[in-house]
Amino acid sequence: MGIKETALAGTLESSDIQITLSEGTGINIDLDSSVEALYGDQIKKVITDTLNKYGITDAKVKAVDKGALDCVVKARTMAVAQRALGTTDEPNWEVL
Amino acid sequence: MEVREINIAIPRYRRKWQSFMEINGITEFSPNEVNTIEKTFLWEEDGDRAATGSIAGNVIKYVAVCSKYKEGGALFNQVVSYLLQQAAQMGRFHLFVFTKPKYVQSFEYVGFKKLAVSDTGAILETGVPGVTEYIEKLPHFEGKIGSIVMNANPFTLGHRRLVEVASSKNDHVYVFVVKNDVSLFTYSERIELVKQDVKDLTNVTVVSGNDYIISPATFPAYFLKSDQEIGAYQAKLDAILFKNQIAKPLGITTRYLGKEPYSKTTDSYNHELLDILPPEVNVEIIDRKTADDKIISATKVRQAIVDDDQDLLHEFLPKTTWEFVKNNYPNLKERLIRKGSK
Repeated sequence: MGIKETALAGTLESSDIQITLSEGTGINIDLDSSVEALYGDQIKKVITDTLNKYGITDAKVKAVDKGALDCVVKARTMAVAQRALGTTDEPNWEVL
Repeated sequence: MEVREINIAIPRYRRKWQSFMEINGITEFSPNEVNTIEKTFLWEEDGDRAATGSIAGNVIKYVAVCSKYKEGGALFNQVVSYLLQQAAQMGRFHLFVFTKPKYVQSFEYVGFKKLAVSDTGAILETGVPGVTEYIEKLPHFEGKIGSIVMNANPFTLGHRRLVEVASSKNDHVYVFVVKNDVSLFTYSERIELVKQDVKDLTNVTVVSGNDYIISPATFPAYFLKSDQEIGAYQAKLDAILFKNQIAKPLGITTRYLGKEPYSKTTDSYNHELLDILPPEVNVEIIDRKTADDKIISATKVRQAIVDDDQDLLHEFLPKTTWEFVKNNYPNLKERLIRKGSK
């Protein structure tokens, strides 16, 4: 499943991550992080896994990381996915 | 720290906002710059002004952070985050910022990408779709590749001749049509007419210049009869952007320009292009086509619409454009009169 609307979640403040989701083919992550060498793969994995739980398989992801922990990455990905799908008022408890 | 939106049209807030910025070294407040602002936000700590930032279309403007909070850049990140969120709520996910070269790093730190940097200014973008997506979506060609940028307001036989020259000298030619809607002919009208009137030239591709070539976002001065200095500064960035972000990935080796005897803005723009583009991209200036010793120009065409000069229109315009003008005559004339002939 792809997404219809571009959406944004998160901030650029320390310990947070800002994620923009837009139309694309396959999950394509453009990650910008100061700890990319160390944690880049892990961040991308959390994003991809979370998106897959929403059934999203096609999206362009732009992520600007400021040292977010996995739980933050996951929370921001959930928020951006729900916004992109237009389902913010129906939280998907399965993903939690 | 509290943030709120302020309306700078109210003099009291305008003074508060402007004086804060002046303290922090921003002193350019010409109406052209200020009037485009849609939203302005102010951060305050115990009643003291700490930071501000504004949104104008898809441009982030007038970002200032009090030197007291500059350490570590935390407040700056907060300001940019907030502006991006506000823009996202307005449905804008692709934003630009103009800044001084020394602040490039600060914006890069929050995910912006450099589009062009000159000795006096820089332009960066963030969000999607960015310049990479724009280039990816264009068709790519092999061989000797030329390019022309035109507003085509409207497409004249002069433009047509420029395209013909480029077409004969190259394996392939991109025609970039300036995407903006402040001209007499709308963007969709202009690009459609160009496409129709060059259809017979098979090695020519007509595409949108998008936000990257003389757009109101990146080069507002082009559309305003304004300050020459700002114009030159933006023209330089536009030229650098074209050279590095557009010509390079598309393999463009020549850009053709029409000689500009009438418009001062275009003339100084051409000057910057000549200065910046070579040697990577050659610049060739082609003399204007004349009809009965009259130089063909879109400016004259627009005047002829006002003056009801059917003969001149017929003489200056290629087939499809001429028919379009004929069929939409009252409508176009009304648009021109309402706008005060531009």
